[in-house]
Amino acid sequence: MTSFAAVALLVLAAPVEVQVSHRRVTAGDGAALAVYRYQRPGVVTSLPPVVLVPDVGFSRAAYDFEGRGLARWLSAAGRLVYVVELRGQGKSGPGLALEPMAMIDLPAVLDALKLEQVDLVVHGWVGSLVLAAHGQGARVRRVVALNTPMLAAPPSTLASAFLADGGRFSTLASSPSGARTFHELFALWAELPERTEQAFLATGTRDLSRPVAAELLAWMNTGDRPLAGRSVVARLSEARVPTLLLLGLADGFAPPEQCAVLRERMAGPVEVHAFSRAEGGEDFSHLSMLLGRDAPKKVFPRVGAFLGEVAP
Amino acid sequence: MRWAWLFLLVGCAGLRVVPLPPEAERHRPKTKDGWELSLVRYRPQGPVTGRPVLLCHGISANERNMDLDERHSMARWFASQGREAWTMSLRATGDSDRPDPAKGRTLPIFFDDYWQHDLPTAIAYVRSVTGAEAIDYAGHSMGGMIAYAYLSQGGGGLHAVATLGAPTRLDWGTGLEALLSRLGPKVVASPDVLLPSQLGAGLAAPFMTVVRDGPFQRFFYNPESTDPSTWQRLVVYGTADTAGGTARQLLTLISTGRFTSKDGTLDFRADMARIRTPVLVVAGKLDRVALTPAVMDGYRALGGPRRWLLITRANGALGEYGHMDLVIGERAPDEVFRPVLDFFNQHDRL
Repeated sequence: MTSFAAVALLVLAAPVEVQVSHRRVTAGDGAALAVYRYQRPGVVTSLPPVVLVPDVGFSRAAYDFEGRGLARWLSAAGRLVYVVELRGQGKSGPGLALEPMAMIDLPAVLDALKLEQVDLVVHGWVGSLVLAAHGQGARVRRVVALNTPMLAAPPSTLASAFLADGGRFSTLASSPSGARTFHELFALWAELPERTEQAFLATGTRDLSRPVAAELLAWMNTGDRPLAGRSVVARLSEARVPTLLLLGLADGFAPPEQCAVLRERMAGPVEVHAFSRAEGGEDFSHLSMLLGRDAPKKVFPRVGAFLGEVAP
Repeated sequence: MRWAWLFLLVGCAGLRVVPLPPEAERHRPKTKDGWELSLVRYRPQGPVTGRPVLLCHGISANERNMDLDERHSMARWFASQGREAWTMSLRATGDSDRPDPAKGRTLPIFFDDYWQHDLPTAIAYVRSVTGAEAIDYAGHSMGGMIAYAYLSQGGGGLHAVATLGAPTRLDWGTGLEALLSRLGPKVVASPDVLLPSQLGAGLAAPFMTVVRDGPFQRFFYNPESTDPSTWQRLVVYGTADTAGGTARQLLTLISTGRFTSKDGTLDFRADMARIRTPVLVVAGKLDRVALTPAVMDGYRALGGPRRWLLITRANGALGEYGHMDLVIGERAPDEVFRPVLDFFNQHDRL
């Protein structure tokens, strides 16, 4: 952890040059997917690339917003990083169903980039799908799961109302009551750099399609959902890849109490760390776990330490 | 120096024990192993609307947690709703007996003493005084855990139960857990002690209203839900010394993640599957003592009728709740006590 704390200080003190490139990948069914590559020039590591996957409605901005975030941090630490926007996210094509995001899109990107093995960082409900879909295979070496629920249930009446209304982030951005909804679900008690919350809502999110919002709400209401002939819960129970589960107490969209059971039910080893203000820092919401002021000090070093050593 | 005195003077302004009202009846049932417990009874105001309710506090606390003053009293609120309400102090807390080896009341006191002796004694006493076949129960924090342990081992006499911020495992990888795991066994070198938490709280009390975002706010309550002066009163007369044996037994929830008897032979969490008493499990979204995953763990373990209630703005509350806000919060009557009463009433009719 010490070396990662040093990296954190280094990144905070003097931003390390990171090259970012973008490419498109076309999935087998024709869906266009946006992929972003982050690499620190001159650094070569034997560790597999790290693939970062945002949650529903979020985009690459969750990992790289206005030049800061986990993508650049890991890259500065010597890892080759890809941020993948699945269908319906960011600049990728439209997403009309949840299952293809995990079952088609991620394998399509790994194939296109010829990545034999990767580390995964996943977030929220999409994280659960991706872990359920790929947590058993040899292609994933390690997973960092950021508030990824296993117990599907409506997190709150507000979350249900948001999804029942179609999961339209754009409407949240257009009114004070919408901004409050976003705050309570995604940025509760968050300590974010000034204007980050509003700016992220305006530019870092994308409306869910009606079918995806309905599917997500149905998943929450029924407690499980099918995924490639099995159920998400059954698949998560069989996941074997070593996983670090990070829990933010203030997450109102993927609450920690719905995620923690992963440690108990998953077949593979799960290391848990819950954050709260009681130990300094913040409680970490859905958004501030990734973009909060304390994330580079509290969250990122844990991710880095779990995924592997800093490259020389 | 002058400023320091002024600082202290302002802090001391709220340091006053609010006495119980005249209508509070004091009772002292005795456990089978010889400890008199302090119980306070409030008769229902107006027509009786349901069974008597017994209220139990958590660790390092006493009966005044559930009955702080007129505005912050789960007991008096229940009485105002037509429910006879009783508060209790566990052994060696509040006005209950202190240890006295000459009278056979010896240390150590373990968590097991509470569910094996104190709770059964209080339940039996309330039933005998009121004539109720079964009563309802609300327990805060360890008070909820005591109910879990008691019911999991076949304890009877409870019709419906509400637990407020009651964890069943405390191994969530936090820095605080690591600290407690490391220092706990050193601080509680022997189970045969009463840790002077009441004295510590008393010394810290003057500063409770002058520090707005200190460790107490971060750990125990949320100023957006509880006024600092309310919290200060709780610190002054709602705290108690902590039994070393209990502290050591509960430390195993951190070190092993298991909720068991002192000797490890009874696995309360596993046995909670046998509970058939309806239980409402209440959690505060920003409870940093009993994290929501820790409270949900207990909810999942229950085998009978159960309901989960998360107090948060996203579910309609007007503020977020920490650990103590669940019982002394300024809006707790509407946002916590009311749903608890509704749950009891719902099961009263079944």
